[in-house]
Amino acid sequence: MKKLIRMRYTKWFNISRDGLSRNNPIVISVLGICSALAITNRVDNALAMGAAVTFVIIGSSLIISMIRNFIPTRVRMITYMVVIAGLVIIVQFMLQAFFPDLYSALGAYVGLIITNCIVMGRSEAFAAKNPVKFTFFDGLANGIGYTYVLVLIAIVREILAFGTVLNYQILPDTFPTWQVMAIAPGGFFVLGLLIWVMRDLTKNYDEEATA
Amino acid sequence: MSRNMKTIVFVLILGTAFSLVLMSIQALTAERIEMNQRFAVQSAILDAFEETYTIANFADVFDETMETVEIDDLVIYVHEETGGVAFEFSGFGVWGPIRGIIAFESDFETILYVRVLEQEETPGLGGVVAEESYLDNYVGASMADGLVVTHNADPNLDNEVDAITGATRTSESFQSILNNTYEEHKTAWDNREGGD
Repeated sequence: MKKLIRMRYTKWFNISRDGLSRNNPIVISVLGICSALAITNRVDNALAMGAAVTFVIIGSSLIISMIRNFIPTRVRMITYMVVIAGLVIIVQFMLQAFFPDLYSALGAYVGLIITNCIVMGRSEAFAAKNPVKFTFFDGLANGIGYTYVLVLIAIVREILAFGTVLNYQILPDTFPTWQVMAIAPGGFFVLGLLIWVMRDLTKNYDEEATA
Repeated sequence: MSRNMKTIVFVLILGTAFSLVLMSIQALTAERIEMNQRFAVQSAILDAFEETYTIANFADVFDETMETVEIDDLVIYVHEETGGVAFEFSGFGVWGPIRGIIAFESDFETILYVRVLEQEETPGLGGVVAEESYLDNYVGASMADGLVVTHNADPNLDNEVDAITGATRTSESFQSILNNTYEEHKTAWDNREGGD
């Protein structure tokens, strides 16, 4: 019990809490919502996207953390872009070579991981200032934080839009499916409601930040 | 000056290192990617004519059962046993290219099989164009007088097929892709040297 209480004050605990809830990239920082809206109408797409983004966050954070003492301040943004773009292209090649079905399902959105603000955000805010071991954990926590929010949204949208989860029929055929849930506006509704609930649960209000 | 030099050297090293990594990854995966793409096309055609194959022997089965006829720039595959024909179609959808294969019975008019291999339509709406359950509606339709993809398809007419709900523009694009490529390939087929 004492050990558990002490754990609350370790850096490891704080890093994972930041990524998963207190500073969750989507519901608290509201970063990376373009992909959260675009590919969350099916759970399998959300899982694949989550895995790809998690890999890119961890990989880019690790590389940047390793070379953080050599990066000239003036070109640090360009450095992040080169590292991130390189990793995304590697993911693209790997998907095309080993998971062609997944690659065709995700289509253009794999390339768009480059523009995912979470990846850039973690590089600038964390990886450039912290040692490799914490950086790896931070990347993992943020990746999982991103993935589970995507999957939650996707579960709601897939059930309402298609009556299925992971392509298994959940609702009876007679249920009138909502076309709007399949397109981006449906994603906005679900994401908005989710942000409200999550912020209420974590007691995170903007007023507190400014007060 | 030395700070500028340091920056330039850093950028050069970074750029070179990443180019090398990417080039080697591309070289390593190129063969597999090409094989996957060939597998996608050839396995779809083999499925159309109900040939059995595995990922290991699909190329051999394809060579044995299908004859590849090249007319000018067009490629038409003929199933040697049934005389059915197939070709690869491609064209522009709403957001990006739509590419796939279509197979016909030996009359080159009645659709036997359609599969979409690549598309970038809106997921869940236009994206339905790649779903097998939707494409199976095309089986049995006749393309002789041009296919009509409409929201109130008459089940008695064999050239009308149901459009995708909520994706009128994708349906229209798909209709014209099929009609245009059909016209092109059918004309080439009818006028080929030594044709029947």
